[in-house]
Amino acid sequence: MENEFYNPIKEGRSAKFKQKASITTDMNAMVDLAFLLLTFFMLTTTMVKPKVIELVMPVPDDEDTEETVVQTIRESRALTIMALPDNELYYYTGFSEAEAIETAYGPDGIRSVLIDHNESQDDPIVIIKAHPESIFENIIDLIDEMNITRMERYAFDEFGDKEFELLSDIGVNL
Amino acid sequence: MGNNRIQRPKTPELDMNPMVDMAFLLVTFFLLATTFKTADPARVVVPKSVSNVELPENKVISITLSRDGRAFMGLGDVEARSRWLEKVAGIYQIELSDIDREVFSSLSGFGVPSSELNNFLRLPSDQRNQMQQPGIPIDSTLNELGDWLVMARVVLPRSRVVIKADRLTPYKYVDEIINTLTKNNILRFNLITESKRLDNGE
Repeated sequence: MENEFYNPIKEGRSAKFKQKASITTDMNAMVDLAFLLLTFFMLTTTMVKPKVIELVMPVPDDEDTEETVVQTIRESRALTIMALPDNELYYYTGFSEAEAIETAYGPDGIRSVLIDHNESQDDPIVIIKAHPESIFENIIDLIDEMNITRMERYAFDEFGDKEFELLSDIGVNL
Repeated sequence: MGNNRIQRPKTPELDMNPMVDMAFLLVTFFLLATTFKTADPARVVVPKSVSNVELPENKVISITLSRDGRAFMGLGDVEARSRWLEKVAGIYQIELSDIDREVFSSLSGFGVPSSELNNFLRLPSDQRNQMQQPGIPIDSTLNELGDWLVMARVVLPRSRVVIKADRLTPYKYVDEIINTLTKNNILRFNLITESKRLDNGE
């Protein structure tokens, strides 16, 4: 029985070389390292993944066919939104006897206009005309409203003379 | 001599093992969850939208548009970049060395006219990073962006075009980019936004 637990170190050497019960390593250095890495990754990481809005543009057609396309749309179906600088927003329905009406971004403004338009017309269409100095965020907000109100047909068009005229009729001079 | 047994150790010892465990767990988490920030050539704050479509990781042709209307371009695919440069250099007859190609491949985006591309690539890297890049020309007379775009589509077929514009960019600059895209028959593209919650006005 004694042989089974024979330990040459214990036996042969003095108590100087007595083994410790457990080995302890200094973990402080490791903690330092781990937190250094942690800080590095926390600072370099981007948690918010960017989201995208997909846009599909119509096939560009020739200058002279454009007119006919506009005319084939039944007037009341079309709602034109005009985005102006300084977050101002106007809209008009139809083409010929149109009158610009002021509205605003957000649920009480343009969204309720869009919902009304969506309900009152079958197959409604929205045309977004952005003033050259209106900001990109305004356009994104408008596209958002299209998605929120499930407006399936919307298009972008140039902010033309007609828009300037309509706005100056109601006293908005740009 | 009798109080030898209750003598305290000179320094209090703390068991650091759980702390190491936790720290490495967090490191592992960040390591896996991370996508590194790419250095943008210009500071761009993207607008917020309610869209929740995620940006595809690769095969992306990105157009960055700064607040003052400077346009930058970049390819998501690192391997395709040198081929892209080669093609465009062919159009504008730019002389390039192997080092230039290497430098170009390392850039996630750039915004200089083709005439200045040579000098731009030969700048020391710290100067290049600090330099205010003038942007790629998009005038109707000299639409270099269109050429870069076409060639990007050649080296990376079936890629997506994404536009990353600052939220305060005037629409006229965005319109120029969109016009360039549609002229080159790219009718489907993405606008980069950051997500926000739907405001119901309640």
